[in-house]
Amino acid sequence: MNRIKTLAIVDDDRLFVMLTKKVIGQTGLVDNIQVYESGEEVLDYYNSTLEPGVEFPEVMFLDLSMPIMDGWQFLERYQKIPAERKKTKIFIASSSISPDDISRAKAIDEVTDFIIKPITAEKINEVMRKI
Amino acid sequence: MEDLLLHTEELNKRIKEISDYKYALDESSIVAITDQKGIITFVNENFCKISKYSSEELIGQDHRIINSGHHAKEFIKNLWKTIANGKVWKGELKNKAKDGSYYWVDTTIVPFLNHQGKPYQYVAIRSDITERKRGEEELKKTVKEISDYKHALDESSIVAITNQKGIITHVNENFCKISRYSRQELIGQDHRIINSGYHSKDFIKNLWHTIANGKVWKGELKNKAKDGTYYWVDTTIIPFLNHEGKPYQYVAIRSDITARKKGEDEIRRINEQLEEKVESRTHALELRNRQLVDFCNIVSHNLRAPLVNISMLVDFIQQSNSVEEQQSLFGEIRPVIDHLNEVFNELVESIQVRQDIEVALDKIKLKECADRILKGFESQIKMYNANVDIKLHGIKTVLFPQKYFDSVLLNLISNALKYKSPDRNPEIAIEFKRCDKSLVLSVTDNGLGIDLDMHRDNMFKIRKIFHKHPDAKGFGLFMTKTQIEAMGGKIWVESKPKVGSTFYVEFVNQFK
Repeated sequence: MNRIKTLAIVDDDRLFVMLTKKVIGQTGLVDNIQVYESGEEVLDYYNSTLEPGVEFPEVMFLDLSMPIMDGWQFLERYQKIPAERKKTKIFIASSSISPDDISRAKAIDEVTDFIIKPITAEKINEVMRKI
Repeated sequence: MEDLLLHTEELNKRIKEISDYKYALDESSIVAITDQKGIITFVNENFCKISKYSSEELIGQDHRIINSGHHAKEFIKNLWKTIANGKVWKGELKNKAKDGSYYWVDTTIVPFLNHQGKPYQYVAIRSDITERKRGEEELKKTVKEISDYKHALDESSIVAITNQKGIITHVNENFCKISRYSRQELIGQDHRIINSGYHSKDFIKNLWHTIANGKVWKGELKNKAKDGTYYWVDTTIIPFLNHEGKPYQYVAIRSDITARKKGEDEIRRINEQLEEKVESRTHALELRNRQLVDFCNIVSHNLRAPLVNISMLVDFIQQSNSVEEQQSLFGEIRPVIDHLNEVFNELVESIQVRQDIEVALDKIKLKECADRILKGFESQIKMYNANVDIKLHGIKTVLFPQKYFDSVLLNLISNALKYKSPDRNPEIAIEFKRCDKSLVLSVTDNGLGIDLDMHRDNMFKIRKIFHKHPDAKGFGLFMTKTQIEAMGGKIWVESKPKVGSTFYVEFVNQFK
């Protein structure tokens, strides 16, 4: 794959989202970016019915530390969603450098990889290779 | 002539009579005759039989041939002195037979005197008493053995004998010594005089059941001395049975194990203390470890996130050619630094609590303190039309650092008001209850409640919030938990979404 049609960023840190969007924009590899501010919000999205012809994002950058429903809690619930709806490749994007978090994330089937913030052009290129 | 005839007849009669006597004597007794020097001149058949010598072997021999060497020199000297003085000697002698075996004889030695009144021969008449002597010796040996045992027992043990009803009939020195009663005070008394009351009824019942059934009982007993002190004895009670097989007396043999028991108690006490210490140390270490992990997470998530933002901002500012863009990006840095500062200060505050191990305890008056804190919420309570109920259950004070206690109560009441239900007026119940040595504070509200299935793990973590509220920061409960755990206590919560929450706080070691 050499382009991403839609990428979702799930993060409550507005500054981080703004800066990351800028980085992604500079790479020119992503057509469309969706932003969700909490796990709840994105979960509702995945539980909703999409209009015909519209598809779920191909890639998601998921933050772990969010209020109300954090990244882990979202993943727990996301795992229960039927497989045919789950085409999205999820990358954890966290400021955490804790090995516990990394190994915990990698143990979840739905998680493709763990990206330590900040998200840079090199890291996006790496993501491209993994999808 | 007639006279002579008569005399001869008389003489014959006499001789016959004497012969009869001699015959009877020979048949019944062991007879030997020696001269005045002790040389055997005659022995009868019985003598030969018992000494296992033939008469040929004996006649002409010194009488000492059958000397056993058993008797003391004094004894033999006395014998000779008696008979040499012409007196009859009677006694029991041990002799040695030819084959080396010994025999005992009851002996009478009769000296025969010449006209000068000096003995010219001795007639010894004996009867065999070997069997009797053997029995006597056996008995003596047994008696000695038994008294040796008794002596050893009395020296080594504490001995008491009671009758079948438990009335003391005998006590030895050691018993008196350990119980501090005199023998007179004990004899005739019920054995329960030394009962300590320590053992259970069942234990004592089992003891009596055992010995009343004629069986030996062994065990360790705690007894009470006259002066009220206690002593432990390792005890064996042996029932003595009559011909019907029923106990007629009990012999109790004890040894003092007070020192050992004390040692055991001491060891047990020390072990318990050690276990307690290890447990509390382990608990403290586990807590510390958990706090470290939490701290690592806090640093990782809450400190590193703003740093990432700053570094990204700086990168963009460097890359940008537009002064306008640079200025706009630059303006974003300040709030991030402020946020970083805030988190940093919170962390420092919590670390200070954790390090403040030696913080002094205050005796806090609950009613006064609760009233004072509620006063601070007066306007909110009025505005929300809230009802606050305080139940103290007679508890007046709590031992806790005043500033922590204020902070704990303040946080819990503040949360109860902050996360009120939009559908009803807040009802808040503050309750203090004793639970063993701890005091448990509970704050119950009828507010929004929390989905514990979702948030249980994050309940008391820093920067975790569970409701969208402008003032929710995720610091209050984190700080409360830190303060309570620093004092060895616990905090936990029960909650139902849309029904309400109850927070519990345990203040440890409040009651002796």
